[in-house]
Amino acid sequence: MPSLKDIKTQINSVGSTKKITSAMKMVAASKLRRSQEKAEAARPYSSRLEEMLSSLASSAASGEGIIKLLTGTGNDQNYIVVPVSADRGLCGGFNSSINRETFKLVKSLEGNGKKVQLMPVGKKSRDFFNRVMKDQIIESFVDLNVSSTGYESALNISNKLQELYFEGKFDKCILVFNKFKSAISQEVTQQQLIPLDVSNSEKEEEKENSSNAIYDYEPDEETILKDLLPKNVSIQIFKVLLESDAGEQGARMAAMDNATRNAGEMIDSLTLKYNRTRQAFITKELIEIISGAESI
Amino acid sequence: MATISFDLVSPENLVFNDEVGTIIVPGKDGDLGILPGHSKVMSSLRPGRVMVYSEDKNLIKSFFVSGGFAEINPEKCIVLAESVVEVNSLEKTSIEKEIQELENKDGKESEEQLSVAKAKLEAINVNYYDKI
Repeated sequence: MPSLKDIKTQINSVGSTKKITSAMKMVAASKLRRSQEKAEAARPYSSRLEEMLSSLASSAASGEGIIKLLTGTGNDQNYIVVPVSADRGLCGGFNSSINRETFKLVKSLEGNGKKVQLMPVGKKSRDFFNRVMKDQIIESFVDLNVSSTGYESALNISNKLQELYFEGKFDKCILVFNKFKSAISQEVTQQQLIPLDVSNSEKEEEKENSSNAIYDYEPDEETILKDLLPKNVSIQIFKVLLESDAGEQGARMAAMDNATRNAGEMIDSLTLKYNRTRQAFITKELIEIISGAESI
Repeated sequence: MATISFDLVSPENLVFNDEVGTIIVPGKDGDLGILPGHSKVMSSLRPGRVMVYSEDKNLIKSFFVSGGFAEINPEKCIVLAESVVEVNSLEKTSIEKEIQELENKDGKESEEQLSVAKAKLEAINVNYYDKI
């Protein structure tokens, strides 16, 4: 039976944990709002870019040079997988679901006889894959600080990817990231980045074909496409980083909310135990006094 | 006099969005003046000035863009720019310093940055019309 003092200490320590988790929840909530605003602000650019690209995509006939970003290398032997996780933990299943999904993807690709390399973004996935598939990591990006220098980090990642791509190091690039669905739910999503997946944008094009048909291009379609494609890669990565950042804050908020609630419940049950013990103690003392008095 | 709606978008945010009279954008092969009812054009941009004029032809705002794309149709003009700064907020001395630093560096990246910085300087120094 624990003494009264032991229970009291336990209550106090759970109480201070509760304070920390509820503070973290508040911080995450305010960061979430900011990340969401950022993600929203970036939307017009990426959607415009996609529209432009989809109206140009059909004009990419030859598969040379930069156009390869669109048409692919013609092989699908070498893959590069980019898991996007957070730099910090304490956000529920956010990081582990990314790692698990990526691990599964890599295994299934390897099962099909493909060669897979990894380029983790974020400390948590880097650390995980450093443990399990160290020799497959070719580069990693950590400490991105998406909320302040997001676009620059996205540029760095996209430059590195394109450099590797044009060196012929890989044929396909797949991003694995948490898509922001709502403040409390994220969905692990895979997106093929290189070569560009135009299947969904092509549908849009059909819809708008009537209005899109007669553009003049300056200087010409190919030059524009050559400018547009690398930019599109960076923008896609930027979008993913922002989504993942918002998702991280959301996940942390939910996790901390849970933790705060659990701590509250724990304090309640510990207080009950404390009172019971105290009462039992008093009763015992009373019995001792009474029985002592009777025996005289 | 008609107006044309103009969006200036950077990856981080929507910088400008309003109905305006005239826009001048730095197209890759030369500046484009865009009036309401312009034919459909898609153009890539060089680093330079985007100038926005009101309906009565007064200069409202001028931005420096480091390249990007413009999509123009009769009702709307959209400029997607990689980085956008208002020309008024550019400082000559700090850009000159940047150019000096970049000139001492080698490599493809700093070369690109150098050409952007030089274009910035040009954007400050160049003559333009306050009213057209």
